[in-house]
Amino acid sequence: MQMPRVQSLRDGEARPAAAPTPAPLRPAADEEGEVNAGPHAVPPPGPRYRRYHIDTADTPDLLRLPHRFRVEVRRWRLARLLLTEVGRYFGRWDTVLNRPCVYGVFGGPVGGFKPRQELCVGCLRCTVQHPDVVRIVRNPERRRLGDSYLTPERVETILYEAKAGNLPVRGQGYRGRFGGTGFDGMWTDMSEIVRPTRDGIHGRETISTVVELGGACDHLEFAPDGALLTPQPPAATLELPLLLDLPPDSLAASALPAIWARAAGELGTLAVLPLAGVLAAGLAGPAVMPLVAPAEVAALAALPAPPRALALAGWDRDAFRALTEGYPEAVVAVRLPFAAGWQATLLAAVAAGASTFHLEADYHGRGADGEFVLDLLLAAHRLLLAEGLRDRVTLIGSGGIVAAEHVPKAILAGLDAVALDTPLLAALQAFPEGEARDRAGARFGLPPGLGPEWAVQRVKNLAAAWRDQLLEILGAMGLREVRRLRGELGRAMFQAELEAEAFGDVEGFAPRGAER
Amino acid sequence: MSEEPGVSPLTIDKVTHYLHAGYHARSWGEVEVPPALGDARWTSDLILATWYMGETGRVPEGRFEYRVGASGGGFDRLAFKTLPAAERRAADAPVDLSLPLNRRGSGRELTLELPFYGGGMSYGSVSEHILLARAMAAHRAGTLTSTGEGGYPPSLARYRDRVITQVATGLFGVEERTIQYAPMVEFKYAQGAKPGLGGHLLGSKTTTAVSRMRGSVPWVSLFSPFPFHSVYSVEDHKKHVDWILTVNPEALVSVKVSTPVDVDMVAIGSYYAGAHVVHLDGSFGGTGAAPEIAKKNIAMPIELAVPKVHKHLIKEGIRDHLTLIASGGIRTAHDVAKAIALGADGAVIATSELVAMGCTRCSNCERGRGCPFGLTTTDPELQEWVTPEWGAERLGNLYRAFSRQLAELLRELGLATIRELRGRTDLLRYLPEAPS
Repeated sequence: MQMPRVQSLRDGEARPAAAPTPAPLRPAADEEGEVNAGPHAVPPPGPRYRRYHIDTADTPDLLRLPHRFRVEVRRWRLARLLLTEVGRYFGRWDTVLNRPCVYGVFGGPVGGFKPRQELCVGCLRCTVQHPDVVRIVRNPERRRLGDSYLTPERVETILYEAKAGNLPVRGQGYRGRFGGTGFDGMWTDMSEIVRPTRDGIHGRETISTVVELGGACDHLEFAPDGALLTPQPPAATLELPLLLDLPPDSLAASALPAIWARAAGELGTLAVLPLAGVLAAGLAGPAVMPLVAPAEVAALAALPAPPRALALAGWDRDAFRALTEGYPEAVVAVRLPFAAGWQATLLAAVAAGASTFHLEADYHGRGADGEFVLDLLLAAHRLLLAEGLRDRVTLIGSGGIVAAEHVPKAILAGLDAVALDTPLLAALQAFPEGEARDRAGARFGLPPGLGPEWAVQRVKNLAAAWRDQLLEILGAMGLREVRRLRGELGRAMFQAELEAEAFGDVEGFAPRGAER
Repeated sequence: MSEEPGVSPLTIDKVTHYLHAGYHARSWGEVEVPPALGDARWTSDLILATWYMGETGRVPEGRFEYRVGASGGGFDRLAFKTLPAAERRAADAPVDLSLPLNRRGSGRELTLELPFYGGGMSYGSVSEHILLARAMAAHRAGTLTSTGEGGYPPSLARYRDRVITQVATGLFGVEERTIQYAPMVEFKYAQGAKPGLGGHLLGSKTTTAVSRMRGSVPWVSLFSPFPFHSVYSVEDHKKHVDWILTVNPEALVSVKVSTPVDVDMVAIGSYYAGAHVVHLDGSFGGTGAAPEIAKKNIAMPIELAVPKVHKHLIKEGIRDHLTLIASGGIRTAHDVAKAIALGADGAVIATSELVAMGCTRCSNCERGRGCPFGLTTTDPELQEWVTPEWGAERLGNLYRAFSRQLAELLRELGLATIRELRGRTDLLRYLPEAPS
C-alpha cells in the first residue's frame, strides 16, 4: 500500500508511532520556501513545509577536454578574401569586419588567422559562407571520452549536466535514430489535459520525488482508540529516487567514497559504500548505506552508531537474520546480481523476510546471460506481481543506467529507485580506460586536482539535472509523485508493440520480438 | 517590418551574397559536403537536397538521397511498391493533389491545392521576415501557414486567407480580430517536441516588438503553460470550439495534439467536440527549443500514431468526417506520401521549410542571439539575412519540388488523386535494416 506523500513535509510530520524517525538530512536553517504564510506571518506551530531543492552551482571542468569541433582555416585564402573585401568595401569598415561567426570564433585579435576553436558550436555558417576558406569537422579526439556503452555522446551530456545542473535544451527536433534496442525502444506517455497539480505554471513545480526504501504492510490494524497496532517495518526516506552506488574496485581507496557520502547527505539520499571503507575512512552517517559481506556482519559493531540502512552483498539467510535482528531499525537491502537463477533467489529471500533488494546488472546493463537490464527489471517486477508480492517489496536497480532518460524508464519497468554508478564518474571527468564492463575490472582515471568541494558540487549538479528531467517526464504524464510511476506499464510504449500494430499489414515487416 | 535593421544595407548585401552562393555551391556539389553537417534523421544529403529544391524547385536526381534519412526506422524503412513502367500512368497524366479540410458536411468549404501546409512557428521564435515569407509562399501556392503562438503581426493581415491563427495555452497575441481573420483556427493542446511541457520563449528573444505583440513585458522569459487551464474534458474542449465559432462562425477548427498512448481516443474526443481537423504532432519534429529528454522519449513517433488513429476512426465510423493531419518529423515529399499511405489525409511541414531557407539543423536556435542564419532569431542584425521575398521564393520552390515528387509518385502507383492514397498500406513495403 502506498500512501500519498508530500515531499516537503518536514518538522512535526505525523508518523506511525512504531516507525523510526529518520535523522534530518538537512539542518533546519536551510529551510525555506514555506507556503501558506504571508510575508510578515510568524510561522505557525505544527507541520512546516519546505520545497525540496538541490543547490546547483557553476562548476567548470577540471580537465580541459578536446574541443567539439576543429576549425580549419586556409590562411592564404583568408588573406586574399580580406584584401578583396577591403578593396570592395573600402571605408565601410563595419561591412569589411562583419565576421561569419556570432559566437566569437573569429573574434580574437587576429580573427580567423587564429580561430578560437573552443567557442565553435558547429553552426557551420562560416563554412557555408566561405567554403573555400573554412572547414569545420567534428573533433575525433572526443571519441576517447567513453566506451561502447557509456558512449562519448552520453559522457558529453553528463559533463554538461554536471557543469551547472542544467538540463540539455536544444533547438530543432530529435536528431537520433528511430527507437532502437534497450531503453531506446521505449517511449513514455503524456496526457493532453491532465497536469500533476493546479499549482504553478506547468504543475510540475510541486511534484514529489520522494521514495521510501523498506517493506510495506498489506493492511493496517487500529485499536478502538485509533492507535496503530500493526508494527511498521523500518523505512528510509529519500528525497529523490537516486542512490549513489559504490565506485569500481580500482577506486575503492580513492577520495570517491568520502565524496559520495557527503554528496548523498546534501542530496538527501544514500551512498552505498563497502563497510571496510566506511570504517577505515570514518564515513558512517545517516547518508551512508554500508555494503556488508556475510562474513563482515560482526564488523558492523565498530560503527559509531546504528546504521539507517544496510546492504547485504548477496543472499545469505543467516547473515540476513543477523542483520535484521542486530539492527531492527535499519532497512536491510539484499544486493542480488542478475546471475543465473536470480528469480529463485529473489523469491527465497522474500519468503525469508527480505523486503528491499538491489538488483545489479553490469556497467553495460547486462545480466549473466547477456539479457539487458530493462528486460531483467521487467521480469523481476512481473515475477513479484505474479506472486502477489510486489507491494511488499522495494526494488533498487543499477547497471546500464547512464542517461537521465533511463531513470524514469527503469522506474516504469518496476524499480522504486536507481543506484547510479558510471555516470557519477563521468560527472567528475573520470573517463573509462578501455571497456568498463563491470565493477571488478573497470578502470577509470580520476582528473588530477580533484577536490571534494568541486566533486560534491558536480555530483549535486548531475542529480539536479536528472531530477529536473524526471520532473519533465512526470509532468508530461500528469503524475504528481514518482512513486506512482513505478511499474506503470500502461503508460509506457514499446517500439516492438507499436510497430507491430502500425506496420503489421505492411509487406516485409517482421515483428522485433526478442530484439527488445 | 516592426523594427529597424540593425545592420547597414551594404553588410546585408555582402552577407546574403556569400550565404546564397554558399547554399548554391554546396547543394550543387561544387564543393565538398560539410563534414560536420547532418544527423541520423536529417542526413547531410537530405539537408543539401532541400537546399537544392529551395533554389530550383526540382530534386537533385543522382546527387543526393532526397527521399529518406538514416534513422533506421519509421519512414526511413518504408518504400512504395511502384508499378512496372508499362503500367504507370503517363508522365503528363493529370494528378489531383488537393486536400479538402472540412469533411463534416456543413459549414465553409476549404480545399488546399497541396496536401500539406506550414506548421506553427511563433513570432519570437522566428523573425517577422520568416513569418511573412511563409505567408507569401502559402498564398502563392494555395495552401496555409500557421502563426504559432506569438500573435499576428499586422504585415501578415494581407495574406489572412492563408494564415491559420493558433490559439495555444498562453493565449499570447490571441485577439478577436485575428480569430476573425482566420480561415482555420488551430487549438494547440500540445506539441510533439515537448509534449505536455508547455512552451518557453527566452527573455533574450522577447524583444520590444515581440512583447508588444504578445502583450507581455520586454526581455522577460515567457512561459506558455501546459495544458489549457480551462480544459479538463471533451466537454471543456467543446466549449473552446464553440467560443471560436462564436467569434468566427466561418472558421474551421483544427486541434493539434501530441501522440500519447490513447491518441486514438483523443482524436475521437476532438471530433465529437466539433473539430474539423485533428492534427497529430509526432515526437521527432519541432522547430523550437525543447528539452532533449522530451524530444527523444515522450510520446510516440508520427509513423506509429497515424495508423493507430486512422484505424480507430474507421472502426468508429467517422473516418470520412474528419481530416487527419500528420506532423512532427515530416521531412520530405516521400514522408508526406508515406504519412498519407499510413492513414493521414495530409501533412504539416515546418523544419523542411527552415532548411529550404538555409537551416543547417545546428540546434543553436536558443543560444545567444539566436539563429546565425537569420531564421529562428529576433536579433535585428541576424534577421536581415533572410528577406521575406527571398524566403518566399525558396519556399515556393520547395513546394513545387514536393508537388512534382508527389505527382510523379501517384503516377507510378497508378493513382489519380492523393486522396486515393490514404490508408493504402498495401502500396508500402517495409525495408530490411540497412547495415550500420
